[in-house]
Amino acid sequence: MTNQHPVLKAENINKRYGNQEILKGVSFELNRGDIKCLIGPSGSGKSTLLHCINFLVQFDEGRIWFNGSEVNYARKHDLYAYRQKIGMIFQDFNLFDHLTALRNVQVGLVRVRKMPKKEARNRALVELERVGLKDHVMKYPAELSGGQKQRVSIARALAMDPEVMLLDEPTSALDPELIGEVHSVIQDLARGGMTMMLVTHEIGFAGSLAKEFLFMDEGVILEQGPPERILSNAECDRTREFCAKINQLHRGSG
Amino acid sequence: MEELLFIRQEVAPALLRGLWVSIQLIVPSAICGLILGIIAGVLRVYGGPLLRRIAGLYVLFFRGFPLLVQLYLWYFGLPRIGIYLSPFVAAFFGFTFCSGAYHSEYVRGALLSIKAGQQLAAQSLGFSKFKTIFSIILPQAVRRALPGCGNELIYLIKYSSLAYMVTCIELTGEGKILASSYFKYTEIFFIVGGVYLVLVSFATWILNSVEDRVSIPGFERPQEGKRK
Repeated sequence: MTNQHPVLKAENINKRYGNQEILKGVSFELNRGDIKCLIGPSGSGKSTLLHCINFLVQFDEGRIWFNGSEVNYARKHDLYAYRQKIGMIFQDFNLFDHLTALRNVQVGLVRVRKMPKKEARNRALVELERVGLKDHVMKYPAELSGGQKQRVSIARALAMDPEVMLLDEPTSALDPELIGEVHSVIQDLARGGMTMMLVTHEIGFAGSLAKEFLFMDEGVILEQGPPERILSNAECDRTREFCAKINQLHRGSG
Repeated sequence: MEELLFIRQEVAPALLRGLWVSIQLIVPSAICGLILGIIAGVLRVYGGPLLRRIAGLYVLFFRGFPLLVQLYLWYFGLPRIGIYLSPFVAAFFGFTFCSGAYHSEYVRGALLSIKAGQQLAAQSLGFSKFKTIFSIILPQAVRRALPGCGNELIYLIKYSSLAYMVTCIELTGEGKILASSYFKYTEIFFIVGGVYLVLVSFATWILNSVEDRVSIPGFERPQEGKRK
């Protein structure tokens, strides 16, 4: 396939809002098939980092490479092409409220990829079936449950044939009964070899999925490593402190 | 009997003539005003600093000047710089620009009410800013703006009666002429008012069916328990 380059590489990402530094020189690499999970307290910059990767948030310093070539965000055409290759899943789904599930998935294919409507429709149906929503394709977002909405949004991203998926707390707006259906879709993606970067507080789920945990605090990646080591045997005090809380919760619930 | 004959022979032909002028004035002004309003509204929310300011100034002036003053400027003012508009065209411009300014406020409010997340989602799929606005945000905003814009259209029907002030003789103008030549103000203006009432009712009916037509789950028109 492509080459030995990482699919995605970010170097020294800095982001400030006013004089508050949100990201202080974050770097990471994602190789094909990697699944990495960002953990850390709220406000540590995890979400902002994901948004920066996609240039949805414009960072102040830093560079991003995709398949070995640097992303030149100033060239709109390159930026739009790059974004198609990076699927993004949001915490609150962000479905297009005026379109049915089917057309939510179809619209990007038609408007962005200029696919003929019929072909796009067929592709959308395939993607919706893949996430188990065959019977709900004609429903509007207002008629879907949270779990169904999130699955539509995953289908919508997948229809663009992304090479990397960024998932920003995909299940944190869902109740426990709906989390499972979204998790199983994400697990299917993992089995299919999708490269993913995931922000979540669902540590158990993330641990079964990710090869590596990245612990973020106050805008820096403090520590990274295999889930077991980060969770039970971290080097930094701050990581240990956070993970102790998580383990506590986890034991409490399990 | 005499009254009926008078109405049939004198009043009806004149008022129908005026009504026809009114309709010719209202329909294009309504359509162009709405388009202008959508453009101005979009520019005020998504335009760059310069376009935003231009659109803002447009709204400031055309909402700030009384409509009658605007009509006088179009008709009596423009000749000063060598532009001569016919009464009809002057009225058309006056109504279009005025209603556009009001529409833009409804559109702006509606645009701002659409969750910003959808914009992010569209961009993350590779939509350009332009495509995001036109295929994702506007279709929703227009649904939200419809009740307000409908109100403005109804209002336009009635302020079209100012056209006769710049000698564009429409319904009210014809009524005024009839009333003063026969000295029957009460009767004539009751009839004129009634005709506007019919126009407004008709427009309301059209607007309601448009709202129902574009209604989708999540964007319903609040109704008195009629919805399924």
